[in-house]
Amino acid sequence: MTGHDYAKLGFKCGLEIHQRLATEHKLFCSCDAQMTNDVSIAEIERRQRAVAGELGRIDLSAAFETRRGRKFIYNTFRHTTCLVDVDEEPPHELNREALDAALQIAASFGAWVPAELEPMRKEVVDGSDPSAFQRTVMVGHGGSMEISGKTIGISSIFLEEESSGIEHSDSSAVIYNVDRLAIPLIEIDTDPEIRNPAEAKEVAKRIGLLLRLTGKVQRGIGSIRQDVNVSISEGARVEIKGFQELDTMDKIIESEVERQENLLEIKKELQRRDVRVHPPVDVTSVFGETKVNALRKHLEDVSGAVMASRLQGYEGMLSKEINPGRRLGTEISGYAKLAGVGGIIHSDEDLPAYGFQGGELAELRRMLGMKDGDAFMLVAGDKEACESALAMANTRAQQAALGVPDETRGVDSRQLVTTFLRPLPGGARMYPETDVRPIPLGSDVYAAARRKAVDVEKVSRTLKRLIKNVQLEEQMLWSTSLGLFMQVVEKTGVDGGLVASVLLDKMTQAKRMGKDVDKIGAEAVLRIFGEYKKGRITKAGIEEIVKHVPESPEDVDKMIKSEKLERISGRALEKLVKESGSEEDREEAIRKVMSKHRLNVDGDELRGLLK
Amino acid sequence: MYSREIEALLQKKGIVPGDTVRVVSNRKSFEGVLLPRPEFGDQDALVIKLKNGYNIGLELKRGSKIERLQREKESFAFPRVKLEKKEGLPDVAIVSTGGTIESKVDYVTGAVHMLVEPEEMLAQVPEILDVANFKVVSPMRIASEDMTYKNWQEIARAVAKALSDSHGVMVTHGTDTMHYTAAALSFMLEGVNGPVVLTGAQRSVDRGSSDAFMNLLCSAHMAAKGNVAEVGICMHANASDSYCNFMRGTKVRKLHTTRRDAFRSVNGRPIARVDTHGNIEYMDESRKRRSEGGRMRVVPGYEPRVALLKFYPNSDPEIIDFYIDRGYKGIIIEGTGMGHVAVAPTDGKLSWLGHIKRAVESGMVVGMTSQCLNGRVNANVYRNLRLISGTGAVYCEDMLPEVALVKLGWLLGNHKRTEAANLLAKNIAGEITERTEIDWD
Repeated sequence: MTGHDYAKLGFKCGLEIHQRLATEHKLFCSCDAQMTNDVSIAEIERRQRAVAGELGRIDLSAAFETRRGRKFIYNTFRHTTCLVDVDEEPPHELNREALDAALQIAASFGAWVPAELEPMRKEVVDGSDPSAFQRTVMVGHGGSMEISGKTIGISSIFLEEESSGIEHSDSSAVIYNVDRLAIPLIEIDTDPEIRNPAEAKEVAKRIGLLLRLTGKVQRGIGSIRQDVNVSISEGARVEIKGFQELDTMDKIIESEVERQENLLEIKKELQRRDVRVHPPVDVTSVFGETKVNALRKHLEDVSGAVMASRLQGYEGMLSKEINPGRRLGTEISGYAKLAGVGGIIHSDEDLPAYGFQGGELAELRRMLGMKDGDAFMLVAGDKEACESALAMANTRAQQAALGVPDETRGVDSRQLVTTFLRPLPGGARMYPETDVRPIPLGSDVYAAARRKAVDVEKVSRTLKRLIKNVQLEEQMLWSTSLGLFMQVVEKTGVDGGLVASVLLDKMTQAKRMGKDVDKIGAEAVLRIFGEYKKGRITKAGIEEIVKHVPESPEDVDKMIKSEKLERISGRALEKLVKESGSEEDREEAIRKVMSKHRLNVDGDELRGLLK
Repeated sequence: MYSREIEALLQKKGIVPGDTVRVVSNRKSFEGVLLPRPEFGDQDALVIKLKNGYNIGLELKRGSKIERLQREKESFAFPRVKLEKKEGLPDVAIVSTGGTIESKVDYVTGAVHMLVEPEEMLAQVPEILDVANFKVVSPMRIASEDMTYKNWQEIARAVAKALSDSHGVMVTHGTDTMHYTAAALSFMLEGVNGPVVLTGAQRSVDRGSSDAFMNLLCSAHMAAKGNVAEVGICMHANASDSYCNFMRGTKVRKLHTTRRDAFRSVNGRPIARVDTHGNIEYMDESRKRRSEGGRMRVVPGYEPRVALLKFYPNSDPEIIDFYIDRGYKGIIIEGTGMGHVAVAPTDGKLSWLGHIKRAVESGMVVGMTSQCLNGRVNANVYRNLRLISGTGAVYCEDMLPEVALVKLGWLLGNHKRTEAANLLAKNIAGEITERTEIDWD
């Protein structure tokens, strides 16, 4: 779907970027902050409850989780879990390494930093934190970034604890791995002033780049996550979580806009009709002899039941498409599933295909008191699960007549659409982390951070000037070798284009040949280019040394000798040309010399000699 | 408290914590709720809660401004349950004394408050109202490290009164000295005729993961229907929220600073395991049943001039003389191993032998326990042990040092000296077991 006029739609969009920092330890303890492939050493089983809120406000999301009543199992690990992680010991001091990195990032966005940091607890209701809250500190406020000539506001920057990773989840329990918990995480929130899906992608990419350029962040799958908040006029604020890659971000946001538009159409139609959602009715008795597999397998259980709701005036609406292949019924089903049932069956579906008999359906309609123009939905499973599933499904069906519900949605990266995860949490409850003292920030601390601030534009311009090759510039900007590249160019004065091509292309080629080029030490690289600059080796010689994986400068010296890579130039080169016996035929001379001494002779020098 | 300058400024403007304010600091403007200064931190930093829930500390110096936008709104209120009598449920009394389990954080300011009303404490676990009908008395509200023997006496009286018309009693208590109180109640409540269940919390109750919820539920089940006539502590059995142990009040000790399973039975196994559904598995056949309870009587006497001394290498025995001179009536020594103190050190002044002898001769009761905690002391195996017991020190079998201390104070408060010395190593309330089962856990 393209060609939307996003301004006219009232499109509003902001990003929340979460990036793990590459620190040695976790945020409030001395556990390793790098996950390993260790096996779990012990399991801890916990129950959590939504702690009664102040001022009597009930958070729908918290109530939702409590209604599910799941137990939480935490897998713990030797090097990455301690008592602090499993809420058996108070937190230690805030990790200074993480704080320095966070301040550097805040400074890079030109954000304002408080005089004193106040560590907070943010209530977490899904069990992903064994303490039922996440520790978080606001480190920056009111920064900005420039992108394509436009300024995007950075409303806030937070330093917080990563959540646990989910190992397994079903309707009765969630198993979490606590190794990931409390790895320092930086969160960057933009103002909701992104104008269209393409811009969202661009902003996300730029923030990701800036974070990388600080050199203080983890890389690899899952180390950065983008959440997108999207709404259109009359729509709702929907938070989309779990983007795996930036490439499809714009497409998914477009789908979400389309979904909200379609839901608004459905709302209009439902408001035109006189619709009402009736309370669930136990209709188990109708299906005593049923041939519908989806029901029969549940009814074999003593506590099995079938329950249904009458949706007055909804006929035909549940099958309305909201995204390709996804209908209003799909959305409602998402709510029911959270209560542990397989989903809903509704009257807009092909019921005979399920195996429903005419008599059954007539009896069902009678029990529900259905009239023409009505629809029904039913669920099967444990009686208690059915009750809460239909309670949730009914809520969603009612919301359809009101518009777009506030939700947290996930990403289906194959279909490029969003899917329902849970209702949007109300303003998270935050209160002070009283186990940790407030952290005063002297002006010198932030001044130090400012000196380390990263300016993406400036780095870009520098690379352009040094490399002069668009592809290599872009590659270098995102590369882990950027720091080394700058060092080499600064210290040796070798042409940036050559350094970039060796660090990016030649290294990659050698790697493909099975050479473990990651072992080549930074000092060794500096020596190689230093020797080249001094005229001791040739460009071809550089490539050759790289293939031999020198770990130290001494290795480089040894290899130059043992592999006979010393450059031949001046008199010695003239001698070679003479010996080739083809002094008269320039091309022949070059061919002969180079074929024998490719690694030792600089082609340019040779050609100059034979002018 | 904020610094004097800030307080003066706030006063001049008539601004109080809780007001919504606008602050201009370093040329940036912030709106939020002014918070009271936390106990720790820079007194010159003004703390406000922003709309997004985060607190930040702002510098208030020249050029900074503060103005009130709105007066303090409704104040923080704790949720509460309604206590109504339900037919067919047992009666359980709660004697609440204070501690983490009864304190709650004010989510706005972060300040910790005591929950004043029992309805507030029970609101944390509303399903507890299906376990029993509760009535609550609160003789005190203090942190357990502030308790003295007078508090034990007060609690004992409150428990005895409560138990006379209920099926069981729960005592909510700070965890630090809970095992001292458990021991004191075990001795002071003679002929106890129902379960007296002490419980508390290791993690604060503001968090959804607090151990308080399960501890309260399990303790309520134990008090309501446990077939036990003893005093015990009911807390988490391990790091999981799966079940609690109900541990004899004289055989239990806090053995971890922070873990939820900090309380462990020592030299004995827990009396029972209990879960939140009320399943009780008894593990100690020697427990006293309800039917064995007698006419309960409070024996509150207590001699506070008793001391607990730890022997360690190089420790100066003159400390004993200090206690003698101060008129102390008894000392419990935490010796090493089977009950050793220095007897023949190179520096003769460090021998404890003469000092213990002097204490006993001056009329004190001296008891010997072991800092190993686990296991029994012995007066015979080594010559040195025989020398020490020869002074008249009483070897206290497999009694925990803290329990021995409480017992000695109680004995001296209710008996003559010789009788107290005789009873010290005799079992009264399950504090001494004659045989130790092989339990390698």
